[in-house]
Amino acid sequence: MWGVIKSVLAAFFGVQRERQRQEDFENGSPVAFIIVGVVLAVVLVVVVALVAVQASR
Amino acid sequence: MRKSLVWMTGCLGFALMVPLAMANAWNMPVGVTDVSREIHSLHMIIFWICVVIGVVVFGVMFYSLFRFRRSQGAKASNFHENTTVEVIWTAVPLLILVGMAIPATATLKKMYDASDAELDIMITGQQWRWRYEYLGEDVAFNSNMSTPRAQIQGDEPRGEHYLLEVDEPLVLPVNRKVRFLMTADDVIHSWWVPDLAVKQDTIPGFINENWVRINEPGIYRGQCTELCGMDHGFMPIVVEALEEEEFDAWLAERKEAAEQEAMGVDREWELEELMERGEAVYGSICASCHQAEGQGAPPAFPALADNQQLIDDLDWHLDKILNGVSGSAMPAFRGTLNPVEIAAVTTWTRNAWGNDTGDAVQPAEIAERLSD
Ligand code: HEC
Ligand SMILES: [Cu+2]
Repeated sequence: MWGVIKSVLAAFFGVQRERQRQEDFENGSPVAFIIVGVVLAVVLVVVVALVAVQASR
Repeated sequence: MRKSLVWMTGCLGFALMVPLAMANAWNMPVGVTDVSREIHSLHMIIFWICVVIGVVVFGVMFYSLFRFRRSQGAKASNFHENTTVEVIWTAVPLLILVGMAIPATATLKKMYDASDAELDIMITGQQWRWRYEYLGEDVAFNSNMSTPRAQIQGDEPRGEHYLLEVDEPLVLPVNRKVRFLMTADDVIHSWWVPDLAVKQDTIPGFINENWVRINEPGIYRGQCTELCGMDHGFMPIVVEALEEEEFDAWLAERKEAAEQEAMGVDREWELEELMERGEAVYGSICASCHQAEGQGAPPAFPALADNQQLIDDLDWHLDKILNGVSGSAMPAFRGTLNPVEIAAVTTWTRNAWGNDTGDAVQPAEIAERLSD
């Protein structure tokens, strides 16, 4: 699970280690990546919105 | 090695000289409001950030191309990835962008905050002039370009403010927050005065807001900056910023003149008076389409001179002027000209260029039609 989160975060940032990438593809199913990706995308939006609201006080 | 260093410094120096030389001649103006100054300094900061990035990136690139060329025995290394370098080249632009976004957003917020204005002005774009209404003050007027056609056609030398001069400028006070409510009657126009850092689309059916607080008295010029038809280039903007007391005096004078005009509606006008006024209204409003001699430009713009239906039918004539012709370029003038102006221009078009009907259309008659 932690590995999946790390890979999704790396994808958000746009940089990934080759070794980690190989491991991700041994997993077989993409479902976990999709779910974690969607959840973290929502989290990112909420965080950015909160920061924006806070900063514009 | 020595030689290549000399080359590099030369190139870098040159790359820095070009923007410096351009900065003064073609740069945006600093302007005369706090917001315009902020926008200018943001522009300069971001510009220099871009210059530095450009110089560094291209400097490294050209240096590498030159230093590690094959004729000097350079061999390409063949590694696949370097996470550290990739993280750095992702994080650095991110920081630069956020660093630019924070001050830019702060300025944007100021630009959008039109609250607490001391004066509201409605700005309406029309083909092809601007209309200014001082809301709550009963002062409103059209602002037409005043550059003579002869200059445009090349028969006369161009004046100093060629295509940037108007018959009546927008007069504003300094040191007061003025809110603009901006819309258009026909197509999209855009009200742009660089020194005020205002560039706002005016859209039929929408009201956009903007505001200024001018710091220095003076005359500031601008243009319509949304391609809006044939005479798009001929609807300039002139803003005259006055000291506060001067502005108050000007406004009081204009209010009084408006009252006089309103009183003019009730009295009986002579034919000559109406003709004189009508000629002026025609020249500033109608001539751009129906032409100076009323000959029109068929088929786009019908002739008014020697127009049999116009001569025969006053009702039809007035209906065209008051209500316009929907689906054509002919605007409705009921909202933009006052009864005196409508009566005068109707009288003028019924008697000029051989349309000798002898009709003197009275402002009172127009006022009655308008109230129906
Ligand atoms: C933006 C261009 C434009 C302006 C400005 C304009 N007109 Fe027109 N006008 C037209 C057009 C186009 C028509 C033809 C409308 C149609 O019937 O399709 C027209 C038609 C008319 C007609 C009817 C003529 C006919 O034979 O159908 C009258 C009268 C008239 N205009 C008077 C005026 C007066 C007076 C003014 C100034 C107060 C004026 N117009 C300003 C474009 C203009
Ligand atoms: Cu325009």
